[in-house]
Amino acid sequence: MENTIEQNREMTAEESLSLITETLNNSRKEITRRSGKYYILWGALLTFFSLVIYVLWKLTDQEAWNNLWFAMPVIGFLLARLMSRKDTETHVQNDVSRITQGIWSAFGIFACTVAVFTIAYSYVSDGALDLGRTIRAMVSVASLTAEIVLLFGLAESICGVALKNWAMKIAGFVTGIGGLAIYYITGAAEEQLFIFTFAGLVLVATGLIVKYQYK
Amino acid sequence: MLPKLDPLLHSELRLAIVSILAGVEEADFTYLKEQTGATSGNLSVQIDKLAEAGYIEVEKGFRGKVPRTVCRLTPQGSEAFRAYVKALRKYIVAGK
Repeated sequence: MENTIEQNREMTAEESLSLITETLNNSRKEITRRSGKYYILWGALLTFFSLVIYVLWKLTDQEAWNNLWFAMPVIGFLLARLMSRKDTETHVQNDVSRITQGIWSAFGIFACTVAVFTIAYSYVSDGALDLGRTIRAMVSVASLTAEIVLLFGLAESICGVALKNWAMKIAGFVTGIGGLAIYYITGAAEEQLFIFTFAGLVLVATGLIVKYQYK
Repeated sequence: MLPKLDPLLHSELRLAIVSILAGVEEADFTYLKEQTGATSGNLSVQIDKLAEAGYIEVEKGFRGKVPRTVCRLTPQGSEAFRAYVKALRKYIVAGK
């Protein structure tokens, strides 16, 4: 709130309505601004993991490095918890913040379930655990990369709708469709990791825009 | 005849507190202080008045080792806020 509300003076009807409108808008903006740092966190993790896995895969020719992806939600969750603990001084929650948390949790559960299911399917159908075959199944046969990037873009756009934020709506669309385009353009499986590098960078940019949009 | 405006809500700081709480599920004391810019003492007095009237509920607890006071709008407070906004609109229409 721009002005300090210290006096308990009586106001005109117009002043009261304007105070209510301003206060409600400020709460929405504050919650949107606070979500920015989590976009930056997950975007940075996504970019980091995609590049590390790409380099390791390229250097060793071992597709099994893709298993490192499973460490990302664990590290991200721990870091997000740590960041939320630092927020103890000021706490605010509304339906929108709960919905956006729910959307990203649902995305995480979908993505992990699809990955685990593909691994389990590959294991059962082969009768033995062959990591190379498993990863090929994940990346090539099941088009897992395409599915995840589409889900990712969709989740980001829905968050934009919930928060009434155009930057998020557009970023989600760009990530989903742009990611799919990279998927079809790139030939080698390891290069498809750049889809996630791209998605991570878009997420960081969205977080920065949101954070400074409402500064 | 124009309805009487709720005197409890027709005060700048108390209205700001209720408006903030109307837009969120809950908010802690520090957030309310940050948003209104009021001093702790004044904010505390106004929160007590709203709580006494049953408009808000106040939960005092700890998060880790840090004490935290969380405020929420009650159904009674929510109804009073709706009625207050409705009455304000009538005043504005009547004034035109």
